[in-house]
Amino acid sequence: MDIQETIQSLTQELRRGTLVLCVLSQLSEPQYGYSLVSILEEKGLSIDPGTLYPLMRRLEKQELLVSSWDTNEARPRKYYQLSDLGMQVYQHLRQEWASLAEGVNRLMNGGEGYGAN
Amino acid sequence: MELIDRYVYAVTQQLPEKQRTEIEKELRGLIEDMLEERTHGGSPSPKEVEDVLVELGNPSEMADRYRGSKRYLIGPGLFTSYISVLRIVWIAIGIALGVMFMIESIMDPTNVLDHFIDGIVSVVIGLTQGFAWVTVVFGILEYTGAQKARGKKTEQAWKPSDLPQLPQYKSRISPAEPIASIIFSVLFVVLFSYSTDLLGVWRFTDGERTVIPFFNTEVFSRFLPYIWILLAVGILKEIMKLNTRRWTTRLIGMEIAVTILYLIVAVLMFSDAAIWNADFMQQAVDSGLVTAGSEGYSTVNTVWENITEGLALIYLIGLVSMIQVISLIVKAYRNKA
Repeated sequence: MDIQETIQSLTQELRRGTLVLCVLSQLSEPQYGYSLVSILEEKGLSIDPGTLYPLMRRLEKQELLVSSWDTNEARPRKYYQLSDLGMQVYQHLRQEWASLAEGVNRLMNGGEGYGAN
Repeated sequence: MELIDRYVYAVTQQLPEKQRTEIEKELRGLIEDMLEERTHGGSPSPKEVEDVLVELGNPSEMADRYRGSKRYLIGPGLFTSYISVLRIVWIAIGIALGVMFMIESIMDPTNVLDHFIDGIVSVVIGLTQGFAWVTVVFGILEYTGAQKARGKKTEQAWKPSDLPQLPQYKSRISPAEPIASIIFSVLFVVLFSYSTDLLGVWRFTDGERTVIPFFNTEVFSRFLPYIWILLAVGILKEIMKLNTRRWTTRLIGMEIAVTILYLIVAVLMFSDAAIWNADFMQQAVDSGLVTAGSEGYSTVNTVWENITEGLALIYLIGLVSMIQVISLIVKAYRNKA
Protein backbone atom coordinates (compact mmCIF):
# COMPACT_ATOMS: atom_id res chain seq x y z
CA MET A 1 0.00 0.00 0.00
CA ASP A 2 1.54 3.33 -0.91
CA ILE A 3 1.56 6.30 1.39
CA GLN A 4 -1.28 8.10 -0.38
CA GLU A 5 -3.62 5.17 0.11
CA THR A 6 -2.67 4.84 3.76
CA ILE A 7 -3.24 8.54 4.36
CA GLN A 8 -6.53 8.42 2.55
CA SER A 9 -7.92 5.48 4.45
CA LEU A 10 -6.84 6.90 7.82
CA THR A 11 -8.29 10.29 6.96
CA GLN A 12 -11.54 8.63 6.04
CA GLU A 13 -11.59 6.84 9.36
CA LEU A 14 -10.94 10.08 11.17
CA ARG A 15 -13.78 11.84 9.37
CA ARG A 16 -16.22 9.01 9.82
CA GLY A 17 -16.29 9.56 13.56
CA THR A 18 -17.18 13.21 13.18
CA LEU A 19 -19.94 12.68 10.64
CA VAL A 20 -22.81 12.40 13.12
CA LEU A 21 -21.70 15.61 14.79
CA CYS A 22 -21.56 17.44 11.45
CA VAL A 23 -25.02 16.24 10.50
CA LEU A 24 -26.62 17.03 13.83
CA SER A 25 -25.09 20.51 13.84
CA GLN A 26 -26.98 21.47 10.67
CA LEU A 27 -30.39 20.12 11.51
CA SER A 28 -31.92 22.62 13.88
CA GLU A 29 -33.80 23.63 10.72
CA PRO A 30 -35.43 20.92 8.59
CA GLN A 31 -33.33 19.81 5.63
CA TYR A 32 -33.68 17.09 3.06
CA GLY A 33 -30.76 14.84 2.27
CA TYR A 34 -29.37 16.58 -0.77
CA SER A 35 -29.72 20.09 0.64
CA LEU A 36 -27.66 18.93 3.59
CA VAL A 37 -25.02 17.57 1.21
CA SER A 38 -24.80 21.04 -0.42
CA ILE A 39 -24.70 22.88 2.91
CA LEU A 40 -21.90 20.68 4.23
CA GLU A 41 -20.02 21.01 0.96
CA GLU A 42 -20.27 24.81 1.07
CA LYS A 43 -18.72 24.75 4.52
CA GLY A 44 -15.86 22.62 3.27
CA LEU A 45 -17.01 19.20 4.45
CA SER A 46 -17.81 17.10 1.47
CA ILE A 47 -19.82 14.03 2.27
CA ASP A 48 -20.83 11.25 -0.01
CA PRO A 49 -24.66 11.19 -0.36
CA GLY A 50 -24.49 7.39 -0.39
CA THR A 51 -23.20 7.62 3.16
CA LEU A 52 -25.38 10.49 4.33
CA TYR A 53 -28.78 9.07 3.38
CA PRO A 54 -28.42 5.79 5.27
CA LEU A 55 -26.87 7.70 8.18
CA MET A 56 -29.88 10.00 8.48
CA ARG A 57 -32.21 7.02 8.48
CA ARG A 58 -30.21 5.45 11.25
CA LEU A 59 -30.28 8.62 13.31
CA GLU A 60 -34.04 8.73 12.84
CA LYS A 61 -34.30 5.17 14.06
CA GLN A 62 -32.26 6.18 17.11
CA GLU A 63 -34.82 8.94 17.61
CA LEU A 64 -32.29 11.74 17.28
CA LEU A 65 -34.03 13.04 14.15
CA VAL A 66 -37.66 13.34 13.16
CA SER A 67 -38.72 13.31 9.56
CA SER A 68 -41.65 14.36 7.42
CA TRP A 69 -42.38 13.99 3.74
CA ASP A 70 -42.99 17.18 1.79
CA THR A 71 -45.08 16.35 -1.24
CA ASN A 72 -45.83 19.92 -2.31
CA GLU A 73 -42.74 20.31 -4.46
CA ALA A 74 -42.07 18.82 -7.86
CA ARG A 75 -40.65 15.71 -6.28
CA PRO A 76 -41.46 14.36 -2.81
CA ARG A 77 -38.69 14.99 -0.32
CA LYS A 78 -38.07 13.68 3.13
CA TYR A 79 -37.11 16.45 5.54
CA TYR A 80 -35.18 15.69 8.68
CA GLN A 81 -34.88 17.79 11.80
CA LEU A 82 -33.39 17.39 15.28
CA SER A 83 -35.75 15.94 17.87
CA ASP A 84 -35.61 17.09 21.48
CA LEU A 85 -33.54 14.06 22.28
CA GLY A 86 -31.34 14.82 19.28
CA MET A 87 -30.81 18.34 20.54
CA GLN A 88 -29.71 17.10 23.96
CA VAL A 89 -27.41 14.51 22.45
CA TYR A 90 -25.96 17.13 20.13
CA GLN A 91 -25.15 19.44 23.04
CA HIS A 92 -23.32 16.64 24.81
CA LEU A 93 -21.43 15.59 21.70
CA ARG A 94 -20.42 19.19 21.15
CA GLN A 95 -18.78 19.34 24.55
CA GLU A 96 -17.13 15.98 23.93
CA TRP A 97 -15.77 17.25 20.66
CA ALA A 98 -14.44 20.42 22.23
CA SER A 99 -12.56 18.57 24.92
CA LEU A 100 -11.36 15.92 22.47
CA ALA A 101 -10.08 18.50 20.03
CA GLU A 102 -8.41 20.39 22.82
CA GLY A 103 -6.81 17.23 24.18
CA VAL A 104 -5.55 16.08 20.81
CA ASN A 105 -4.19 19.52 20.00
CA ARG A 106 -2.41 19.65 23.31
CA LEU A 107 -0.81 16.29 22.59
CA MET A 108 0.38 17.34 19.18
CA ASN A 109 1.49 20.86 20.02
CA GLY A 110 2.65 20.32 23.60
CA GLY A 111 6.26 20.05 24.76
CA GLU A 112 6.64 16.28 24.34
CA GLY A 113 4.67 15.66 21.17
CA TYR A 114 6.57 14.83 18.04
CA GLY A 115 6.46 17.64 15.51
CA ALA A 116 5.63 20.30 18.10
CA ASN A 117 6.08 23.81 16.80
CA MET B 1 -33.61 6.28 -17.15
CA GLU B 2 -33.75 2.52 -17.14
CA LEU B 3 -30.32 2.53 -15.50
CA ILE B 4 -31.76 4.48 -12.57
CA ASP B 5 -34.56 1.93 -12.13
CA ARG B 6 -32.04 -0.86 -12.22
CA TYR B 7 -29.83 0.86 -9.67
CA VAL B 8 -32.70 1.54 -7.28
CA TYR B 9 -33.89 -2.04 -7.67
CA ALA B 10 -30.40 -3.41 -7.04
CA VAL B 11 -30.25 -1.53 -3.74
CA THR B 12 -33.79 -2.09 -2.47
CA GLN B 13 -34.04 -5.79 -3.27
CA GLN B 14 -31.33 -6.38 -0.67
CA LEU B 15 -33.30 -4.57 2.01
CA PRO B 16 -36.14 -5.70 4.28
CA GLU B 17 -39.50 -5.55 2.53
CA LYS B 18 -41.10 -2.91 4.69
CA GLN B 19 -38.29 -0.38 4.21
CA ARG B 20 -38.19 -0.76 0.45
CA THR B 21 -40.83 1.69 -0.70
CA GLU B 22 -39.56 4.54 1.39
CA ILE B 23 -35.91 4.02 0.58
CA GLU B 24 -36.84 3.73 -3.07
CA LYS B 25 -38.61 7.10 -2.96
CA GLU B 26 -35.70 8.64 -1.11
CA LEU B 27 -33.11 7.23 -3.50
CA ARG B 28 -35.00 8.40 -6.57
CA GLY B 29 -35.27 11.87 -5.07
CA LEU B 30 -31.56 11.88 -4.37
CA ILE B 31 -30.64 10.77 -7.88
CA GLU B 32 -32.93 13.41 -9.42
CA ASP B 33 -31.42 16.10 -7.18
CA MET B 34 -27.94 15.06 -8.16
CA LEU B 35 -28.86 15.07 -11.85
CA GLU B 36 -30.53 18.43 -11.59
CA GLU B 37 -27.42 19.92 -10.09
CA ARG B 38 -25.45 18.77 -13.10
CA THR B 39 -27.94 19.66 -15.81
CA HIS B 40 -29.43 22.79 -14.22
CA GLY B 41 -32.94 21.71 -15.09
CA GLY B 42 -32.25 20.25 -18.53
CA SER B 43 -32.81 16.60 -19.27
CA PRO B 44 -29.78 14.51 -18.36
CA SER B 45 -27.68 12.67 -20.89
CA PRO B 46 -26.96 8.94 -20.40
CA LYS B 47 -23.39 9.88 -19.53
CA GLU B 48 -24.56 12.14 -16.72
CA VAL B 49 -26.84 9.42 -15.35
CA GLU B 50 -23.92 7.03 -15.35
CA ASP B 51 -21.67 9.53 -13.59
CA VAL B 52 -24.23 10.03 -10.84
CA LEU B 53 -24.64 6.29 -10.31
CA VAL B 54 -20.87 5.85 -10.19
CA GLU B 55 -20.71 8.58 -7.57
CA LEU B 56 -23.31 6.76 -5.48
CA GLY B 57 -21.22 3.64 -5.69
CA ASN B 58 -21.78 -0.10 -5.61
CA PRO B 59 -25.46 -0.85 -4.82
CA SER B 60 -24.51 -3.72 -2.51
CA GLU B 61 -22.38 -1.41 -0.41
CA MET B 62 -25.18 1.13 -0.42
CA ALA B 63 -27.60 -1.55 0.80
CA ASP B 64 -25.08 -2.59 3.48
CA ARG B 65 -25.00 0.98 4.74
CA TYR B 66 -28.78 1.15 4.84
CA ARG B 67 -28.93 -2.12 6.70
CA GLY B 68 -26.12 -1.18 9.03
CA SER B 69 -24.65 -4.68 8.88
CA LYS B 70 -23.21 -7.06 6.39
CA ARG B 71 -25.05 -10.26 5.65
CA TYR B 72 -23.36 -13.62 5.71
CA LEU B 73 -24.47 -17.12 5.16
CA ILE B 74 -21.33 -18.16 6.98
CA GLY B 75 -19.39 -15.29 8.48
CA PRO B 76 -15.64 -14.92 8.94
CA GLY B 77 -15.92 -16.20 12.52
CA LEU B 78 -17.14 -19.61 11.42
CA PHE B 79 -15.55 -19.83 8.01
CA THR B 80 -12.33 -21.58 9.05
CA SER B 81 -14.13 -24.34 10.92
CA TYR B 82 -16.66 -24.58 8.10
CA ILE B 83 -13.92 -25.34 5.61
CA SER B 84 -12.17 -27.86 7.85
CA VAL B 85 -15.42 -29.67 8.71
CA LEU B 86 -16.42 -29.71 5.05
CA ARG B 87 -13.08 -31.24 4.13
CA ILE B 88 -13.45 -33.96 6.77
CA VAL B 89 -17.02 -34.76 5.73
CA TRP B 90 -16.00 -35.01 2.10
CA ILE B 91 -13.13 -37.33 2.94
CA ALA B 92 -15.48 -39.49 5.03
CA ILE B 93 -18.03 -39.71 2.22
CA GLY B 94 -15.28 -40.48 -0.28
CA ILE B 95 -13.93 -43.31 1.89
CA ALA B 96 -17.43 -44.73 2.47
CA LEU B 97 -18.26 -44.76 -1.23
CA GLY B 98 -14.81 -46.16 -2.07
CA VAL B 99 -15.39 -49.05 0.34
CA MET B 100 -18.83 -49.58 -1.19
CA PHE B 101 -17.28 -49.74 -4.66
CA MET B 102 -14.72 -52.27 -3.51
CA ILE B 103 -17.31 -54.50 -1.89
CA GLU B 104 -19.48 -54.43 -4.99
CA SER B 105 -16.55 -55.16 -7.29
CA ILE B 106 -15.38 -58.08 -5.18
CA MET B 107 -18.86 -59.56 -5.08
CA ASP B 108 -19.66 -59.02 -8.68
CA PRO B 109 -16.35 -58.77 -10.56
CA THR B 110 -17.88 -59.14 -14.01
CA ASN B 111 -19.56 -55.74 -13.88
CA VAL B 112 -16.66 -53.71 -12.51
CA LEU B 113 -17.10 -51.04 -15.16
CA ASP B 114 -20.77 -50.55 -14.28
CA HIS B 115 -19.91 -50.32 -10.60
CA PHE B 116 -17.21 -47.81 -11.43
CA ILE B 117 -19.63 -45.58 -13.34
CA ASP B 118 -22.23 -45.94 -10.58
CA GLY B 119 -19.48 -45.13 -8.13
CA ILE B 120 -18.57 -41.88 -9.90
CA VAL B 121 -22.22 -40.85 -9.97
CA SER B 122 -22.66 -41.56 -6.27
CA VAL B 123 -19.46 -39.68 -5.45
CA VAL B 124 -20.85 -36.61 -7.21
CA ILE B 125 -24.22 -36.96 -5.47
CA GLY B 126 -22.60 -37.79 -2.14
CA LEU B 127 -20.23 -34.81 -2.18
CA THR B 128 -23.08 -32.49 -3.16
CA GLN B 129 -25.20 -33.85 -0.31
CA GLY B 130 -22.32 -33.49 2.11
CA PHE B 131 -21.76 -29.92 0.99
CA ALA B 132 -25.45 -29.11 1.42
CA TRP B 133 -25.69 -30.61 4.90
CA VAL B 134 -22.54 -28.98 6.22
CA THR B 135 -23.63 -25.64 4.80
CA VAL B 136 -27.10 -25.96 6.34
CA VAL B 137 -25.62 -26.72 9.76
CA PHE B 138 -23.20 -23.79 9.61
CA GLY B 139 -25.86 -21.49 8.19
CA ILE B 140 -28.02 -22.26 11.22
CA LEU B 141 -25.07 -21.78 13.57
CA GLU B 142 -24.30 -18.43 11.94
CA TYR B 143 -27.91 -17.30 12.06
CA THR B 144 -28.50 -18.28 15.69
CA GLY B 145 -25.06 -16.96 16.66
CA ALA B 146 -25.75 -13.61 15.01
CA GLN B 147 -29.15 -13.39 16.70
CA LYS B 148 -27.59 -14.15 20.05
CA ALA B 149 -24.86 -11.56 19.58
CA ARG B 150 -27.49 -8.97 18.76
CA GLY B 151 -29.59 -9.91 21.81
CA LYS B 152 -26.62 -9.90 24.15
CA LYS B 153 -25.61 -6.38 23.33
CA THR B 154 -28.75 -4.99 24.89
CA GLU B 155 -29.29 -7.59 27.60
CA GLN B 156 -26.08 -7.79 29.52
CA ALA B 157 -22.44 -6.96 29.29
CA TRP B 158 -19.91 -9.63 28.59
CA LYS B 159 -18.25 -11.10 31.66
CA PRO B 160 -14.95 -13.00 31.83
CA SER B 161 -16.96 -15.96 33.19
CA ASP B 162 -18.68 -16.16 29.80
CA LEU B 163 -15.41 -17.40 28.32
CA PRO B 164 -15.73 -20.96 27.05
CA GLN B 165 -14.02 -23.69 29.09
CA LEU B 166 -10.71 -24.93 27.82
CA PRO B 167 -11.26 -28.36 26.35
CA GLN B 168 -10.59 -30.87 29.12
CA TYR B 169 -8.97 -34.12 28.15
CA LYS B 170 -12.03 -36.07 29.28
CA SER B 171 -14.46 -33.90 27.34
CA ARG B 172 -12.42 -33.69 24.15
CA ILE B 173 -13.83 -35.43 21.09
CA SER B 174 -11.22 -36.99 18.87
CA PRO B 175 -12.17 -36.27 15.26
CA ALA B 176 -11.74 -39.96 14.43
CA GLU B 177 -15.01 -40.83 16.15
CA PRO B 178 -17.33 -38.53 14.15
CA ILE B 179 -15.43 -39.33 10.95
CA ALA B 180 -15.96 -43.07 11.49
CA SER B 181 -19.64 -42.42 12.29
CA ILE B 182 -20.13 -40.46 9.08
CA ILE B 183 -18.40 -43.17 7.03
CA PHE B 184 -20.62 -45.86 8.55
CA SER B 185 -23.76 -43.76 8.18
CA VAL B 186 -23.09 -43.27 4.48
CA LEU B 187 -22.34 -46.98 4.09
CA PHE B 188 -25.60 -47.85 5.84
CA VAL B 189 -27.61 -45.44 3.69
CA VAL B 190 -26.25 -47.10 0.55
CA LEU B 191 -26.58 -50.62 1.93
CA PHE B 192 -30.13 -50.19 3.21
CA SER B 193 -31.30 -48.35 0.13
CA TYR B 194 -29.92 -50.61 -2.57
CA SER B 195 -28.75 -53.90 -1.15
CA THR B 196 -30.87 -55.06 1.77
CA ASP B 197 -30.59 -58.58 0.38
CA LEU B 198 -26.87 -58.56 1.21
CA LEU B 199 -27.66 -58.41 4.91
CA GLY B 200 -27.79 -62.03 5.84
CA VAL B 201 -25.83 -65.20 6.24
CA TRP B 202 -23.17 -65.53 3.58
CA ARG B 203 -22.14 -68.90 2.34
CA PHE B 204 -19.49 -69.79 -0.23
CA THR B 205 -19.62 -73.25 -1.67
CA ASP B 206 -17.43 -74.19 -4.62
CA GLY B 207 -16.84 -70.53 -5.40
CA GLU B 208 -20.58 -69.93 -5.55
CA ARG B 209 -21.91 -67.24 -3.29
CA THR B 210 -25.31 -67.56 -1.67
CA VAL B 211 -26.77 -65.08 0.77
CA ILE B 212 -29.68 -65.98 2.97
CA PRO B 213 -31.19 -62.57 3.68
CA PHE B 214 -32.47 -61.69 7.15
CA PHE B 215 -35.05 -59.24 5.90
CA ASN B 216 -38.02 -59.09 3.63
CA THR B 217 -36.79 -56.47 1.19
CA GLU B 218 -40.24 -55.18 0.33
CA VAL B 219 -41.37 -54.64 3.92
CA PHE B 220 -37.95 -53.26 4.85
CA SER B 221 -38.13 -50.64 2.13
CA ARG B 222 -41.25 -49.16 3.74
CA PHE B 223 -39.10 -48.10 6.66
CA LEU B 224 -36.45 -46.53 4.43
CA PRO B 225 -37.64 -42.91 4.78
CA TYR B 226 -37.35 -43.15 8.57
CA ILE B 227 -33.92 -44.68 8.28
CA TRP B 228 -32.81 -41.88 5.95
CA ILE B 229 -34.07 -39.19 8.30
CA LEU B 230 -32.44 -40.95 11.22
CA LEU B 231 -29.08 -41.27 9.51
CA ALA B 232 -29.27 -37.66 8.26
CA VAL B 233 -29.94 -36.42 11.79
CA GLY B 234 -27.07 -38.60 12.94
CA ILE B 235 -24.71 -37.10 10.36
CA LEU B 236 -25.84 -33.60 11.32
CA LYS B 237 -24.97 -34.37 14.92
CA GLU B 238 -21.54 -35.67 13.90
CA ILE B 239 -20.92 -32.45 11.97
CA MET B 240 -21.72 -30.47 15.13
CA LYS B 241 -19.25 -32.66 17.02
CA LEU B 242 -16.55 -31.99 14.43
CA ASN B 243 -17.17 -28.31 14.88
CA THR B 244 -17.03 -28.10 18.69
CA ARG B 245 -14.54 -30.95 19.22
CA ARG B 246 -15.64 -31.30 22.82
CA TRP B 247 -18.62 -32.56 24.74
CA THR B 248 -21.02 -29.81 25.64
CA THR B 249 -24.32 -30.23 27.43
CA ARG B 250 -26.13 -29.38 24.23
CA LEU B 251 -24.23 -31.99 22.23
CA ILE B 252 -24.85 -34.63 24.87
CA GLY B 253 -28.56 -33.70 24.75
CA MET B 254 -28.53 -34.17 20.97
CA GLU B 255 -26.72 -37.48 21.34
CA ILE B 256 -29.38 -38.70 23.79
CA ALA B 257 -32.18 -37.52 21.51
CA VAL B 258 -30.65 -39.33 18.52
CA THR B 259 -30.17 -42.52 20.57
CA ILE B 260 -33.85 -42.43 21.59
CA LEU B 261 -34.86 -41.80 17.96
CA TYR B 262 -32.83 -44.83 16.91
CA LEU B 263 -34.56 -46.87 19.58
CA ILE B 264 -38.03 -45.76 18.46
CA VAL B 265 -37.36 -46.58 14.82
CA ALA B 266 -35.80 -49.94 15.76
CA VAL B 267 -38.82 -50.88 17.91
CA LEU B 268 -41.20 -49.81 15.13
CA MET B 269 -39.32 -51.89 12.58
CA PHE B 270 -38.69 -55.02 14.57
CA SER B 271 -42.10 -55.23 16.20
CA ASP B 272 -43.45 -55.83 12.70
CA ALA B 273 -42.80 -59.54 12.21
CA ALA B 274 -43.30 -59.19 8.45
CA ILE B 275 -40.01 -57.39 8.14
CA TRP B 276 -38.14 -60.68 8.55
CA ASN B 277 -37.52 -63.09 5.74
CA ALA B 278 -40.32 -65.63 6.32
CA ASP B 279 -38.47 -68.30 4.35
CA PHE B 280 -35.20 -67.95 6.23
CA MET B 281 -35.18 -71.44 7.70
CA GLN B 282 -36.28 -73.03 4.43
CA GLN B 283 -33.56 -71.19 2.51
CA ALA B 284 -31.00 -72.18 5.13
CA VAL B 285 -31.86 -75.81 4.56
CA ASP B 286 -31.87 -75.41 0.76
CA SER B 287 -28.45 -73.84 0.76
CA GLY B 288 -27.08 -76.68 2.83
CA LEU B 289 -26.31 -74.48 5.81
CA VAL B 290 -28.21 -76.78 8.17
CA THR B 291 -29.84 -80.14 7.67
CA ALA B 292 -33.54 -80.38 8.42
CA GLY B 293 -34.26 -82.27 11.64
CA SER B 294 -30.70 -82.06 12.97
CA GLU B 295 -29.74 -80.65 16.35
CA GLY B 296 -28.14 -77.67 14.62
CA TYR B 297 -31.42 -76.98 12.84
CA SER B 298 -33.42 -76.78 16.05
CA THR B 299 -30.83 -74.53 17.68
CA VAL B 300 -30.82 -72.13 14.75
CA ASN B 301 -34.61 -72.31 14.58
CA THR B 302 -34.99 -71.44 18.26
CA VAL B 303 -32.64 -68.48 17.97
CA TRP B 304 -34.34 -67.26 14.78
CA GLU B 305 -37.83 -67.53 16.31
CA ASN B 306 -36.72 -65.79 19.47
CA ILE B 307 -35.37 -62.92 17.45
CA THR B 308 -38.16 -62.58 14.93
CA GLU B 309 -41.27 -63.52 16.88
CA GLY B 310 -40.22 -62.91 20.45
CA LEU B 311 -39.03 -59.69 21.94
CA ALA B 312 -35.42 -60.74 22.45
CA LEU B 313 -34.00 -58.32 19.87
CA ILE B 314 -36.11 -55.40 21.03
CA TYR B 315 -35.04 -56.04 24.63
CA LEU B 316 -31.43 -56.19 23.56
CA ILE B 317 -31.63 -52.93 21.58
CA GLY B 318 -33.52 -51.29 24.45
CA LEU B 319 -30.87 -52.38 26.91
CA VAL B 320 -28.00 -51.11 24.77
CA SER B 321 -29.77 -47.77 24.24
CA MET B 322 -30.46 -47.45 27.95
CA ILE B 323 -26.82 -48.09 28.83
CA GLN B 324 -25.78 -45.51 26.26
CA VAL B 325 -28.22 -42.88 27.55
CA ILE B 326 -27.13 -43.47 31.14
CA SER B 327 -23.46 -43.19 30.24
CA LEU B 328 -24.23 -39.96 28.37
CA ILE B 329 -26.03 -38.53 31.40
CA VAL B 330 -23.05 -39.47 33.58
CA LYS B 331 -20.80 -37.78 31.04
CA ALA B 332 -22.93 -34.64 31.20
CA TYR B 333 -22.61 -34.50 35.00
CA ARG B 334 -18.88 -35.14 34.97
CA ASN B 335 -18.52 -32.46 32.31
CA LYS B 336 -20.24 -29.90 34.49
CA ALA B 337 -18.24 -30.73 37.58
